[in-house]
Amino acid sequence: MGKNIYMLCVDDEAEVLEAVERDLSSLENQFPLEIASSAAEARAVLKKIVDSGDELGVIFCDHVMPDETGVELLTAMEGSDAWAQTRKVLLTGQASQEATIEAINRGGLDHFVAKPWTKENLINVARAQLTEYVIRTDRDPLPYLASLDAAKLSAAIYRKGIITDS
Amino acid sequence: MKAKQAIGLIVGIGAFILALLIPLEGLSLSGQITLGIFAMAAFFWILEPIPIYATSMLIILLQVILLSSQGFVFSPKYAPQVGVVEEVAEGAPAYRVPLEALSDSGQIFKVTAKAAKPLSEFEIVSKDAESVLIRSKSLSASDRVIEDGDHRSVATETSSYATFYSTLASPIIILFLGGFALAASAVKFGLDKNMTRVLLKPFGNKPQYVCLGLMICTAILSAFMSNTATTAMMMTVVLPIVGGMAMSDPFRKGVALAIPVAANVGGIATPIGTPPNAVALAALKESGINISFSSWMLMAVPFTIILLFISWRLIMWFFKPNIDRFEVNLDSEFNKSPKAILSYIVFGATILLWVTEKLHGISTSMVAFIPVAVLPALGVLEKKDIRGFSWEVLWLVGGGISMGLSMKDTGLAYWLIELVSWDSFSGLAVIIVFSLVGFAIANLISHTVASTMLMPLAITVGTGLAAVGGFNLPAAIVAITVMVSLAMILPISTPPNAIAMSTGVIETKDLAKVGIAVGVAGFIIAIVCAAYVWPHMIG
Repeated sequence: MGKNIYMLCVDDEAEVLEAVERDLSSLENQFPLEIASSAAEARAVLKKIVDSGDELGVIFCDHVMPDETGVELLTAMEGSDAWAQTRKVLLTGQASQEATIEAINRGGLDHFVAKPWTKENLINVARAQLTEYVIRTDRDPLPYLASLDAAKLSAAIYRKGIITDS
Repeated sequence: MKAKQAIGLIVGIGAFILALLIPLEGLSLSGQITLGIFAMAAFFWILEPIPIYATSMLIILLQVILLSSQGFVFSPKYAPQVGVVEEVAEGAPAYRVPLEALSDSGQIFKVTAKAAKPLSEFEIVSKDAESVLIRSKSLSASDRVIEDGDHRSVATETSSYATFYSTLASPIIILFLGGFALAASAVKFGLDKNMTRVLLKPFGNKPQYVCLGLMICTAILSAFMSNTATTAMMMTVVLPIVGGMAMSDPFRKGVALAIPVAANVGGIATPIGTPPNAVALAALKESGINISFSSWMLMAVPFTIILLFISWRLIMWFFKPNIDRFEVNLDSEFNKSPKAILSYIVFGATILLWVTEKLHGISTSMVAFIPVAVLPALGVLEKKDIRGFSWEVLWLVGGGISMGLSMKDTGLAYWLIELVSWDSFSGLAVIIVFSLVGFAIANLISHTVASTMLMPLAITVGTGLAAVGGFNLPAAIVAITVMVSLAMILPISTPPNAIAMSTGVIETKDLAKVGIAVGVAGFIIAIVCAAYVWPHMIG
């Protein structure tokens, strides 16, 4: 009850994190955005989220980072119970074809955003992925009708019978 | 847990205990227990410390434990008993039992494995200050009799626990189950959306007529499907278009409001339209009045049409469109797979059988099981579809029916209505009072719960009036049920309202404006119908 759905952006470039924060600020009221500059930092954020009983709805992840790559992080998340449902987006300009294939096949990649992105595109991706997350986790969709894709959430309400006559 | 829920929990349990502890004049012990259960359920339903369907389940549990003839309170098993101690042999055997065992009505109760049964024949040989010597062929030395012949376990008329469980499979519940099966198959194959597409075509692209078309589609669908599911489905149709409109256009709000209003109004049209209809039908059935699918529709459909038209005019008047074109493009196609076609046939046949009961005489609830059995048999509905039925709604209604049963049987309903002197009320006044109370509380709590709490009382008052004559009970009950369904002033009044509100397109004040206007219009029509029109339709 009252669990927050977080967004997380992982990138080793501070400018990218700043830009993402700026672009997604309109969603931040309902979906708090966390940032991390490395996979290790991202793991610390994940731990913090799970410890507070919250959830991660979507992760935007760069691929080429020192130490652990984005695809490695996504693959690890895909394999864990807590983060398998999290929607995974690769936000990168330099992922090789190989890495991208790896992300799709083993990292459960849901979407690919190429750098540079437009603000509108990024918001649309975030909304679509969060909508999908809310539907797949069978949450009460009503609190999200105004901010996410209302038509899709309505379809889930009647197809899955999430809300019934009373 | 929120404060409201904590209060609900404490007050509910407190009310239960109080009702049991405070002696209430004119109310039997079973009546007091029923009052306790009813009071607790009412607080639980209103303040929701637990989900409303869980409260309904709890009612059944408490009835089984506390009110049934096998329960802790009324089972003779738990009553003080004595053995038939002395066998005085002299020709036919005679037995000595305590004097108290002889009840006021002159019976003696022998305890058997299941119950205490009065001895069918016995003869009193002699009596002294403490005991009585009897002769009976149906006694033997090892038998036990109830020590006090006037003990509550034999003096109270109770129902078997099975009676309370069986409300879950009562004909009305099965009727709803039939509706669920039909709705599930319609949704599965997109029949609902395709019907919307076809029905909307003749309404062109003038905003106000499209809005009327949307309202008619919504009402027709919600007459057979749940109001909530219909609203959600229609929202998927209109939201993409509404999203593209200028924020300043009042028509955005108009469309977003038209759908929940039409869904709530449409639910009135058939017995399976919305759960309060089931509660009303079950209450009438308990009083020996059966209303067929077609009789209900005969009363409710004209009412629905008139009110829908008025609602449309009201909404168009409140929210005049600025745009001059409003187009709904649904690019779906009828699913023509064999299973889909089978589902259409079953859908059509069931509804046809429902509305033609007068011709073939097969009752509504019997027909209702056709889709329940046939759709899975044909493979149209699979295991996961059956799991997807709104079972909790059936429990909600079932618990309500069970509550009503005890309220009637234990005399609680009668005792409660005696608290108000209804003698000074005319039949019309009774309908008006119950309709207004129903409308008021149903705006704040679940419609089903509102009618569950009100129906046993309305039926009890109405039965008294009907006995005097000049009062048509079914017409009155339908009017009250209609008013419960029309309670849609607040976002919390009904799930369709909650959905419309959550889209962010409308505000509470818009909902209140339309809800009050439609409520007033509906109230006037319902009262006129109940007094002058419906009584002639159902005799």
